[in-house]
Amino acid sequence: MLLDYDRLGWLRAALAGFTALVAAFLLLPVIFIVLLSFGSSRWLAFPPPGWTLKWYQELLADPAWIDAALTSARIAAMVAILAVVIGLLASFSLVRGEFRGRQLLRGLLLTPMVLPVVVFAIAIYAFFLRIGLAGTTTGFVIAHTILALPFAIIPIATALEGFDKSIEDAAIVCGASPLQARLRITLPSIRIGIFSAAIFSFLASWDEVVVAIFMASPTLQTLPVKIWGSLRADLSPVVAAASSLLVGLTLALMVVTALLRRRLSR
Amino acid sequence: MQGNSLRRRSIAGLPAGSGGALPALTLVGLFFIVPVVALLLRSVTDPEPGLQNYAALFGSGTYVRVFLNTFLVAAVVTVVTIIVAFPVAWMLAIMPPALGSIVFGIIILSMWTNLLTRTYAWMVLLQRTGVINRALMGLGIIHEPLPLINNLTGVTIGMVYIMLPFMILPLVGTLRAIDAMTLRAAALCGASPLQAFRRILLPLSLPGIAAGGLMVFVMSLGYFVTPALLGGTSNMMLAEMIAQTVQSLLNWGLGSAAAFVLLVVTMALYAIQLRMVGARRLGGGL
Repeated sequence: MLLDYDRLGWLRAALAGFTALVAAFLLLPVIFIVLLSFGSSRWLAFPPPGWTLKWYQELLADPAWIDAALTSARIAAMVAILAVVIGLLASFSLVRGEFRGRQLLRGLLLTPMVLPVVVFAIAIYAFFLRIGLAGTTTGFVIAHTILALPFAIIPIATALEGFDKSIEDAAIVCGASPLQARLRITLPSIRIGIFSAAIFSFLASWDEVVVAIFMASPTLQTLPVKIWGSLRADLSPVVAAASSLLVGLTLALMVVTALLRRRLSR
Repeated sequence: MQGNSLRRRSIAGLPAGSGGALPALTLVGLFFIVPVVALLLRSVTDPEPGLQNYAALFGSGTYVRVFLNTFLVAAVVTVVTIIVAFPVAWMLAIMPPALGSIVFGIIILSMWTNLLTRTYAWMVLLQRTGVINRALMGLGIIHEPLPLINNLTGVTIGMVYIMLPFMILPLVGTLRAIDAMTLRAAALCGASPLQAFRRILLPLSLPGIAAGGLMVFVMSLGYFVTPALLGGTSNMMLAEMIAQTVQSLLNWGLGSAAAFVLLVVTMALYAIQLRMVGARRLGGGL
């Protein structure tokens, strides 16, 4: 009976109540930050004594914030492209290859997701210091691509596993070259996986803090590094404004994802 | 190609079908394996060859306390996360999809929201003059502000908040896979709800709880951002100590040794988890 929604009795009310509480716990901090960003108190008093847009004005008038956001966007876009291309090629091997050590290779390519980021951060930082890539865009893109790769491989490989290869073979039998068949038959069929891979690898770079803290230089800062610096200094409401814009971006991404998925899966 | 384009060919002597993985392998080999191995070598060569960094690490009360604290925090976070996640996953597994999708939406929103944003929210909420303290004082429950931040309480709240989705989502899958018939049968045979829960539902969901719990534990062990911002100096965790040793003290040897310890513990637990869930299913729930 415990798994029958309609026959749970009082337990259902208890579980539903608890679930509602946890949902509130998950949602409240996000709503709270957005409300706070419009509050007029510099000391983040809540409820705010009045409402204002001045933190947004302060944020948008500060070139350091704009620069950081643009840097993040540029790096994350490059990471997404690289991770999807490299991840796509790797996924074909991982899913269809018939060679010894395939499972080992899969494990190896997914390891960056499991290793604590701080270990990778100081390792790549030391390495880049030696070869002169620390504090450069190239360095950022390489390091973030390593971290994003598992998030690109998993959805693409999953989609590829669910794709019936005989359709691709049929195209080849009908005269398409193997490359044509892959580009025109297989890729469109796994586009949801590719699309998820792009979103996940973009976010993996866009939200990445730890590697970025080490890699950043005074002239090259990503948005998380800028926020991190502000948080360590004081709890300025400008951070609330920046955070709210990030929440808005997350919501937009969720909506776009949902819409595109619906459309692509038709 | 002619005539047998369907047969797998070996490119340049490589095993069939492995060519596509070359770019990924090169990238990961050059910019992941090499730097990590170099770092680990540094722990036994910097400032001079020998094990003195490990001796310093395990011989000092300060560092041993960091290790113990790291395990303590990870354990507390894991236990609280499991206790909170289980009822939610249970409800999500059986509730009507229309209602459930709202809860799922909230979980995804919180999971996708920038990590620093979420941590910042908790910093503001939990501070001495924050909303939570004010509300509790306004209600007359407490008279002095509670110390909710820069201590174990703050880290636990912030970390549980971040880990909940990673526990709830896989658990929903485990619970959905359980046949409701077994529980109906138990009820028909006279089991009380408590008995049915203890002897059937809980044991059947144990693999999911164990796998999710281990993942939360491993992630918590190496977590940097949230403990650094919500924790106190007296209960520093390993990741923060590693970062500080390298960044502020410039003691690369010691930092590398600590990183190696974290790596070994993480990988050992990861290997256990792989055996539990099977390599192929890992990460499948993205």
